[in-house]
Amino acid sequence: MTEYLIRRILQSVLVLFLVSVISFALMHAAPGGPLMVLLPKSGTQAAILQQEKNMGLLDPLPIQYLHWLGQLLHGNLGYTYKNHVPVGQILWPTVGNSLILMGVSWILSLLIAIPWGIYNSTRAYGLSDNISAAIGYLGFAMPAFWFGILLQEMFSLNLNWFPLSDMHSMNKQGDIGDLIWHLVLPVTVLVLGFLASYLKYSRASMLEVLHMDFVRTARAKGASEKRVIYRHALRNALIPIITVLGLDLPILVSGAVITENVFNWPGMGRLFVEMAFAREYAVLMAISLVSTVFVVIGNLVADILYAVVDPRVQLGKKGGAAA
Amino acid sequence: MSQLNTTPEESQMAQVESTKPDFSAEGVAAPPTSLTRVAMRKFFRNPFAVVGLIVLLFFIVLCGFAPLFTHYNPATIDMLHASLPPGTDGHLLGTDEIGRDVFTRLLYGGRVSLIVGFCVAFCSVVVGTLVGAIAGYFGGWVDMILMRLVDVMNSIPSLLLNIMVLALFGSGFWLMIAVLSLTSWQYVARLVRGTFLQLREMQYVQAARAIGVSNWSIITRHLIRNSTAPIIVNATLQVGTAILVESALSYLGLGVQPPQTSWGLMLNNAQEFMLTNPMEAIYPGLCILLVVLAVNFIGDGLRDAIDPRTKLKISRRRLQKWRNRFSKSGI
Repeated sequence: MTEYLIRRILQSVLVLFLVSVISFALMHAAPGGPLMVLLPKSGTQAAILQQEKNMGLLDPLPIQYLHWLGQLLHGNLGYTYKNHVPVGQILWPTVGNSLILMGVSWILSLLIAIPWGIYNSTRAYGLSDNISAAIGYLGFAMPAFWFGILLQEMFSLNLNWFPLSDMHSMNKQGDIGDLIWHLVLPVTVLVLGFLASYLKYSRASMLEVLHMDFVRTARAKGASEKRVIYRHALRNALIPIITVLGLDLPILVSGAVITENVFNWPGMGRLFVEMAFAREYAVLMAISLVSTVFVVIGNLVADILYAVVDPRVQLGKKGGAAA
Repeated sequence: MSQLNTTPEESQMAQVESTKPDFSAEGVAAPPTSLTRVAMRKFFRNPFAVVGLIVLLFFIVLCGFAPLFTHYNPATIDMLHASLPPGTDGHLLGTDEIGRDVFTRLLYGGRVSLIVGFCVAFCSVVVGTLVGAIAGYFGGWVDMILMRLVDVMNSIPSLLLNIMVLALFGSGFWLMIAVLSLTSWQYVARLVRGTFLQLREMQYVQAARAIGVSNWSIITRHLIRNSTAPIIVNATLQVGTAILVESALSYLGLGVQPPQTSWGLMLNNAQEFMLTNPMEAIYPGLCILLVVLAVNFIGDGLRDAIDPRTKLKISRRRLQKWRNRFSKSGI
């Protein structure tokens, strides 16, 4: 187990390193460096050169990369080109905002999807099962931003029930009720997306378990249907679901790019698009790195959880989860 | 569809399928049915898949032959006839806020969305198959390196990567196709690698190797042909994903640029004029929804059609019917 963990962590570090190299290379392969945006007309050639020198943009690329990496390891994500603000200062608040939005949607969709999926598995091809299948197809095929726009038209422009966009009303920072009021529409959009896959997973995994021998044994020995489902089947059905949840962890940070843009939610996804248009290399690199870290951690957590909840899995052995 | 499917169940099923007429009164043996035909028959018996196919063909014809269905130009601005309601002056779905015919824009925008969808699916499947084939066939350190590459690509959220590249390098139609293809091949690569790892140990591959067939020929003639079925299913589903991603990127303003249009870009426009022209947001989104649904239905239908297990479920019922008829016929 320990050996496996160490190997996995080393692998993750390697992946992170490669990702940082790739995003760094991409930034510097882009035509017209950041100064094209900053000093388009006013600066003379000499002024541009001087500016580039001050920012360290004239150093060889590997040196620039190492410099950036060294700073990064000290917790310094760099500075924006435009106002020379530390990247962390504008990034971390948006991470928090994204987490609020995604966390609420994620937990809500789990609370709906798992019980509903279990119910559907016991009454496969019934009405409720068909409804959830329809939700699945819709969730996979409907563009999230379109759903968002429709909700905005319906519930904020026509009915005026919920605010059109943003996270707070004017002068109402920190008011929980106001926040919840603003959360309703974007959370609805995100929950539909989550439900599509989670309903499918929980139903399929439960159906699979219900056909297993030990469930039949439990029924044969006279256990009540409730007991069969909740004590015998559910625990085993949860194993694959937990793995999927671990793999979905990174979505909590970067998954709402589109929804955040539709509803003008001040999260990391909106910041990313904004900064991509402004060519703020440092911010883009920081965001892609932060979300990659989450992906890697998510994968690791999924593997470990898998072994923790299922004693049959032995990590690191051939044929185990590591294979 | 392929020799890959000659698992015991499948051949058994094929037999069941081909022996079906034997239970009829005449007892005339049917000609042997190929697996492709079995799959085709299964596909066309799936109502969802057939409806999906019809809807997709409908959109392809409508968008592909757009000039036949509309005589307006999608980019012509006509301020005198701006914001017309649907059905006035020959504007089937009305005009937008600067007088462009909405129906025409839907057709031409659909062209872009469909072309992007199919091109991206094709390219990403080609790249994925190539990487997966090389990794699975050669194994060893080649496999190690390519699979680490897949890991790395899987770790960067692909939407972020798409946005980054398109924003930095300037957005355009072909660049978008390239970027979307290069960020969506990983799943196919894993899939192909998996089948290749199994198939390369097969005796016919060893036989081919023994008589001196080159690696390239073994890969293209024997191995890829035997893994086409799952690849095709995946390619179909990729079309839908690509259309969705394209529309999202265009919605953000990073995809196709005016005067070109796509369904995503139309929605971007529609959101600005939500108050004055709410219906404008409905049409493009509905088109995306319908096309992606259709493609997903087709993909699911194909997957069920080539999956021997779904056959078993259906045929058991049918088998019972045949048995009943058989016992009634008193042979």
